[in-house]
Amino acid sequence: MTSPTSPLQPIVPAYHVEILNAGQRADLKAATLRILDEVGVHCPSDEAREIYAEHGCRVNQKTQIVQIPPEVVAEAMSHAPRFYTMGARLPEFDLKLDGTALYCATDGCGIETIDPVTRQRRKSTKEDVGLGARLADCLPEIGFYWPIVSAQDHPKSAPLHELEASYNNTVKHIQSETVMGRQTARYAVEMANVIAGDEASRRARPPLSLLVCCIAPLAQDREGMESALAFAEAGLPVGFMSMANAGSTGPATLGGTVVAGDAEIVSAMVLIQLAHPQAPTFYSLMPGIMQPRSGGFQTSAWEGTLLYAVGVDLAHNWGVPALAGVFGTDALTPGWESAADAASSLLLLAMAGAETGSGLGLLESCRLFYPEAMILDADIYQRVRYEAAGLDTSPQALALEVIADIGPRGNFLKHAHTRIHLRQRAFSSLTGQLASTGGFRDPVEVARQKAEWILANHHPEELDSARRAELSKIISAADKELD
Amino acid sequence: MNAVATSTRPQIEPLKRELQLEFLTQGQLDQLQQATLEILENVGVRFPSEKALAVFAEHGVEVNWETQVVKLRPDQVKQALASVPRYFTLGARDPSFDLQLQKGLTFFTTDGCGVETVDLGTGQKRPSRKEDVGMMARIADTLSAVAFYWPMVSAQDYGVSAPLHEMDASWNNTIKHVQSETIMGEIPARYAVEMGIVLAGSREELRRRPPFSLVVCTIAPLVQDKEGIEGALVLAKAGVPVGFLAMPTLGTTAPATLAGALAVGDAEIISACMLMQLAAPGAPVFHSMMQAWADPRTGGYVSYPLDSCGRYAPVEMAHHWNIPSLGGAYGTDSKITGTWQAAAEPAMDAFMVGLAGAEIATGIGLARTYTLLYPEQIILDEDLYHRGRYLMRQMEISPETLAIDVIRAVGPGGHFLAQKHTRQHMRESLKRGVTHQLNDLNEYIDPREYARQRVKWILENHHPEPLELAQQQELTRLLAAAEREMEENKEL
Repeated sequence: MTSPTSPLQPIVPAYHVEILNAGQRADLKAATLRILDEVGVHCPSDEAREIYAEHGCRVNQKTQIVQIPPEVVAEAMSHAPRFYTMGARLPEFDLKLDGTALYCATDGCGIETIDPVTRQRRKSTKEDVGLGARLADCLPEIGFYWPIVSAQDHPKSAPLHELEASYNNTVKHIQSETVMGRQTARYAVEMANVIAGDEASRRARPPLSLLVCCIAPLAQDREGMESALAFAEAGLPVGFMSMANAGSTGPATLGGTVVAGDAEIVSAMVLIQLAHPQAPTFYSLMPGIMQPRSGGFQTSAWEGTLLYAVGVDLAHNWGVPALAGVFGTDALTPGWESAADAASSLLLLAMAGAETGSGLGLLESCRLFYPEAMILDADIYQRVRYEAAGLDTSPQALALEVIADIGPRGNFLKHAHTRIHLRQRAFSSLTGQLASTGGFRDPVEVARQKAEWILANHHPEELDSARRAELSKIISAADKELD
Repeated sequence: MNAVATSTRPQIEPLKRELQLEFLTQGQLDQLQQATLEILENVGVRFPSEKALAVFAEHGVEVNWETQVVKLRPDQVKQALASVPRYFTLGARDPSFDLQLQKGLTFFTTDGCGVETVDLGTGQKRPSRKEDVGMMARIADTLSAVAFYWPMVSAQDYGVSAPLHEMDASWNNTIKHVQSETIMGEIPARYAVEMGIVLAGSREELRRRPPFSLVVCTIAPLVQDKEGIEGALVLAKAGVPVGFLAMPTLGTTAPATLAGALAVGDAEIISACMLMQLAAPGAPVFHSMMQAWADPRTGGYVSYPLDSCGRYAPVEMAHHWNIPSLGGAYGTDSKITGTWQAAAEPAMDAFMVGLAGAEIATGIGLARTYTLLYPEQIILDEDLYHRGRYLMRQMEISPETLAIDVIRAVGPGGHFLAQKHTRQHMRESLKRGVTHQLNDLNEYIDPREYARQRVKWILENHHPEPLELAQQQELTRLLAAAEREMEENKEL
């Protein structure tokens, strides 16, 4: 028996905040253009360098450095669409990236899982990708799904197995961050074809998108760029993420790290627009700050989260949607630190106008999947969603007649207005839950039980058997070829 | 001579509002203000104080002496509020820690008036004591997030004179401004003024740089507290800032819709501010509201439902009246500190009240809905404060921070570790919060454990300058006199 998937509840902010002023935007853009023109980026893909060269970029074939003149950047980026749709298996779950709402994904590509049955920590598997997809499918807070962990039990073609497990367990849009290389991308596009039904639908409502990480400083990944080109050719959205680390792979000043990361992302988006004008692209700046004693990448330093909001502003300045960094935490277990990290930045990113964000459900700097972490993050998401939604000041909400009825010293408990409206208030399903022994239950424990309930009871509408079989066939072929 | 060397403290780091955002539209603010005026004129507010009613009557306000309800016409309200100073100074023992209220800055305080303390030594809960007030004042003294101090718990070992002992413990342990929320009634207020004069040096200095202020809770719906209002009148006449805090609970003491609850709370606050202006035109007053919700299943008080949105609304409503705002923030419903809930609930608060532009805001450090003190929580809450502070700042963009020459020198695929620019800026680029404190093995310390260690370190090492001996003696003398008079008054 299948379970209905609740309608999405995106964050629709009533307020908008400008992170950068016009002068700052101009300064940052000028700096990025200078870097692209004077320093360039390392591009180890012959195919990509050829495209750059054909369109007026200066290419050094020996060093594989590509320098991109400002006019080429401007011309290429003028074709990038600002708004588009990311499709889902079921059309009512399509994401219209029109600048009015923020849709959040799960986090992705973790490498370990807290087993929901044994509660032991182990290497992640394809089955976990499916479990995560089922949890995500059930939560209205999750707009689209990043395969939450790596299907490490299918090493040769894990990215494709992750897609299969995702499509078989959620009706929502899937965004991969692991499909790398032209061969793998070709199979992924075939899988998207199966889900969409035909090429026109695939282009109009792409059920699959791809996020490719750049290599800081100022370098692109050959496999990543070639899979991005294949996706763009098929009309599937591709985004580029910079994770420059201030102090090691970026300058130790935040402005410098931002422009170095910006240059990486823009160089990749330019390539896509040169090769496939009007291909849907998106922008993601998620820098870290180096831990001076260990050299580690820190995602949740006090100043770090502001950089994510700066990234949203820069995306819009380049005329493309943003994928904002939300919910990442360095915490080792669900608790104070994971909540503090999640709740601190999401509201600002929503008010900055981010169209998409990732992601809920991982700990240990995006490495460890705790099923209950997705539930806990969803609770924080709702707090932000309500906070951003604005205040109702209608006559019914102001309730002046009710106040006059009650007068000084009265109480509102018996009033009909209270009975109607108190039920409409949104209380957390995690906090304030009464314990049978008195007092309140631990919200983390409540979340764990909720995750168990979802995994036992939520079974989204299945792919029809013909498409399931087709996906299996593609996977088998890919396994053979990639082996 | 004091055997212990005194310590310095970091400068206050207020929230700086560099991002611009208005949450409510002018239309919504007008609607809310109009609602308040309608309530004040047609429903009225009960003032169970003959003195307060007399002040209203003297100024032509319609007073029903039987029900003790005053009804305030819009023209009367606006005329009275015209004398409210938009900004003023909250003085400190050390003038360099005076708080000049102004646009664009938010000064934070601790939370206050908790009733139990988790003892640092035993880990057990017990009734709060005067020594806890002093201990936390000493910790607050050294935190850059804390600009002024609310006595964090009640000095329950001092009975009726507890509020004055809380002031005494505070001034003896921090050089920062102290704001009481417990001084109630004419007699304690008179003594508090005398204690303030001891700190300030003279009645004139008390008015110019008041080293303390008071926040008084109203009673929802639409009632004032006799002792609270009469104490506030004493302080307002002495030039000591007084604020009024409404805490409407949606569904029980206020309508179950947020806008209606805000209107009820606003009417309570505005009626009290108006009284102060009628009695002492130009008296510094401030506006504060912390709405809560009734749990439909238990009737319990809930500070943080999912839709608790509105940390910003009271701030903007206050400013629409041209009155400074004490923004409401923090006060998790979690019964234990350091939990998921204790961060999930208040994590956005500092950012929201700062972005809304509150001049002052409360308050960090208590759990269990403002009632339970874990000494280490102030360190965790401070971390959330600084996260909000950095989110509100604009990024510095200059040739030095853009570092294009450095990027050119490193080039694609290199690293920045060996650059002089990195050595110069690395220390300032990482602002290390409680989550990234390393132990000797370069492992991160559990944040709550770090917070405990930090509290212990402060208590062992931070010793603010003591009050002058003469001041200490004078405060002690005043406390003794106050206790006598209050006990006598109690017997009467």
